[in-house]
Amino acid sequence: MARMKFLCDAERCIECNACVTACKNENEVPWGVNRRRVITLDDGEPGEKSVSVACMHCTDAPCAAVCPVDCFYTTTDGLVLHDKDLCIGCGYCFYACPFGAPQFPEESAFSQRGKMDKCTFCAGGPEEDNSNAEYEKYGANRIAEGKLPACAEMCSTKALLAGDGELVADIYLKRVMQRSGRPDTWGWQKAYGAGV
Amino acid sequence: MSRYAPLTLALLAPLVVAGCYEDVTPTQYDPGVYKGKTDPLLEKLESGDLRDQLDQRFEIAATDR
Repeated sequence: MARMKFLCDAERCIECNACVTACKNENEVPWGVNRRRVITLDDGEPGEKSVSVACMHCTDAPCAAVCPVDCFYTTTDGLVLHDKDLCIGCGYCFYACPFGAPQFPEESAFSQRGKMDKCTFCAGGPEEDNSNAEYEKYGANRIAEGKLPACAEMCSTKALLAGDGELVADIYLKRVMQRSGRPDTWGWQKAYGAGV
Repeated sequence: MSRYAPLTLALLAPLVVAGCYEDVTPTQYDPGVYKGKTDPLLEKLESGDLRDQLDQRFEIAATDR
């Protein structure tokens, strides 16, 4: 069974934020919530790198591990989704997630914290596919329509890839080989040394 | 007519009260067990058709123009 994965090619990302806009537009994300963000390291300096970050749909998701009401479930394709009817908005998942993916919309006049909201890989949630209830709670369900996440499909430089992990890896490998024959992902040299 | 009114009310009252019934049974959580609604997408993802459709879409969307 395939595993759906995101991969952002930092060599190609030009920090245009089209992915962020596409996500907000497609899913009618609540005000103040960013399911996807573009992070830039060494901004303004030569060699700066940008990467688009959202929920990475972890294999062993820490958000699901710490959730006190077990509102998370994982699809056969490895998408980590959650049930907002079970979520109590406690915020544990926010602390557990290394990517800051879980977001909490402000509700009521006193900015009370609402139910957790995060990237669904445009796969909606546990409601009838493409129903109003699903769209209001979780946003669009493009996967049920045979489409991939809007952020990746909108990426003009094809920096952001989303799909079957093996296909994503094949494309990334080809790019790496064309560029230098060596993976240029962040942390590679730190982890494996410059000579590898 | 007024003779039947109390009788009619007596028959309707249980129906009205039954209509207001709300199940208050709380969800008993078991550690690590998801007890939310079932996502219909899970069944669709099992079908090879949707998988092929997604893979074809990926070839179109992620390949350099």
